[in-house]
Amino acid sequence: MPDTLLSIQGLSAGTEDKPILHNIDLAISAGETHVLMGPNGAGKSTLGHVIMGDPSYQVSSGTITFDGTDITDFAADKRSLAGIFLSYQAPVEVPGVPLYSFLRTICQMRPELKTTARKFRQRVSEICEHLEMDDSFLTRELNVGFSGGEKKKIEMLQLLLLQPKLAILDETDSGLDVDALSIVSHGIEAYRQECNGALLIITHNTRILERLDVDRTHVMVRGNLVGEGDASLIDEIDSTGFGRFEQALAEKGGVSE
Amino acid sequence: MAEKNAASAASTLLKHINTPAAQTWNYLHINDISLEVPTPTTKGEVLARLPRLFDAVETGIGEEAASWIVSATGDSRYVEVKAGVRREEPIVVDIDAATGDIRDTGVLVREGAEATIVVAVHGKASEAGTSASLLRIVAERDALVHLVEIVALGSGQHLEGVGIEAADNATIDVRQYALGGDKVAMGICCSLTGRSARLTQETRYLVRGSEQLDVNHLVRQRGRDTRSELVTSGILADAAKKTMRETIDLIHGAKGATGNEIETVLVTGDDIVNKTLPTILCDEDDVAGNHGASIGSISADQLGYLADRGISTKEAEALFARAIFDDAAIHAPEALSRAAALKRAEEVLGGDIALDVAEGLGLSTDIEEQA
Repeated sequence: MPDTLLSIQGLSAGTEDKPILHNIDLAISAGETHVLMGPNGAGKSTLGHVIMGDPSYQVSSGTITFDGTDITDFAADKRSLAGIFLSYQAPVEVPGVPLYSFLRTICQMRPELKTTARKFRQRVSEICEHLEMDDSFLTRELNVGFSGGEKKKIEMLQLLLLQPKLAILDETDSGLDVDALSIVSHGIEAYRQECNGALLIITHNTRILERLDVDRTHVMVRGNLVGEGDASLIDEIDSTGFGRFEQALAEKGGVSE
Repeated sequence: MAEKNAASAASTLLKHINTPAAQTWNYLHINDISLEVPTPTTKGEVLARLPRLFDAVETGIGEEAASWIVSATGDSRYVEVKAGVRREEPIVVDIDAATGDIRDTGVLVREGAEATIVVAVHGKASEAGTSASLLRIVAERDALVHLVEIVALGSGQHLEGVGIEAADNATIDVRQYALGGDKVAMGICCSLTGRSARLTQETRYLVRGSEQLDVNHLVRQRGRDTRSELVTSGILADAAKKTMRETIDLIHGAKGATGNEIETVLVTGDDIVNKTLPTILCDEDDVAGNHGASIGSISADQLGYLADRGISTKEAEALFARAIFDDAAIHAPEALSRAAALKRAEEVLGGDIALDVAEGLGLSTDIEEQA
């Protein structure tokens, strides 16, 4: 497929002492929106982190190809610069680094985003306004002392600034109240419209998907991708849960812990 | 205010600078620092002195160094902020290392008043040059004092002494930035004498090359229900040397007082010397004092997060260094201190980044002119 942006083939991965993901195949084309669902502990976040190159996990077999390049052995920073973005469920606090310094640094590292400080500041202000964020956030330390909702907005701010080719949103909607969820949804929508970026959304909450046209839905159970379908699968899971997928995996006898 | 350093070419050895409230084994070489400074000469001038009130204010650098500054300066400057007044214009202590400035300043912030005080140390000293500042502050009941110290020498040695007396409900917030200097000794003592007096103090430093930074933080908590929060973080690079003494003294009678101190040091050089002496002294039952220190590299979680945004370990260290200058420029309340931070950023990080910091924060970029 020439327009395939992310191609995962036969991927198995885990920590040093525990295999988590088993023989995963997944393909996402440029501009597509995919949703990854599954019960707690299924390995959804692990898949997101393995795609991003988290060194806590080791790939035991399979390949990850991004934008035509095999990135299986790339470090996370190289994957980020190649155009992959992972939005954290719980963004890490970095005391001592003002948000502004961080944002400026990550943009200046990307030749396509390099610009004067003045124009950069202007762009950041525009996005802040869009996300209903106070400009004063910029002088505060990165993710330190922010509420859960504010941290998620900061993740969205980075997403809109960096304009990655693929954004993996790891339960970005968790812990958000209705208003914050709406703002974050607007942010995701803006990313789709402005950048035509591809999305892999890991979620339990279908409200965040209301504004998006979902192309494919994947279901993960115990580290296995066990189901796939169009957007209608989300409604089905919403009403019946993951029972049939868990049962199918058990019957298949392919359960690997 | 006399601006002239009345010191002669002869030198004097000050032996007991930054002595902590409780000393430890001598072989650790952490109990004080010695500095060779010019011997003061009076030349028969009639010198202005601060009101006697300030004689009782303890400073962190110690009596010997404080006396030397008072003797060596040509004059003293006294500022009084009247009761209930919110002074908009910061009180600025301008120290130019190039001219070897030595200043003695006393600020009395009357009841219910608010003032911002800035110490800006900048410039490159001539060979073995010494600059110094002694700042003593008396904060009366319900006063609010903001103190920002930016020590950003290109070269030379500097002595920075601060003493603060805080009465009932007085609130003191201090931001210290140690951004450069061959040999810098900074000592601050805050006496929370009155009931419910408060101190929040944030110190950030970058010590690199063969620079030496020596710090003494001392909080005397005498009043009931007093609070102190001391947060220190910094980077040591190359063959830098840093000594940090941090003491919270919970004195008999300070019932309900709490004090917390924490230091985080990021080590990026192979030949650095890092010494830390955190101390809680306690002579009262109903108090709480905590200290903590973390020394090492950037945490794995932080590195992971930064890597996911395209930042390698090496670039993360550079980001932390830049962040100190950004933070100093952000919190510098007026042009001179801001320019001092930016000028030093130019020397350490390069002109492009300094310009970037200034432009990004919407500050004037004419660093030379301001500094």
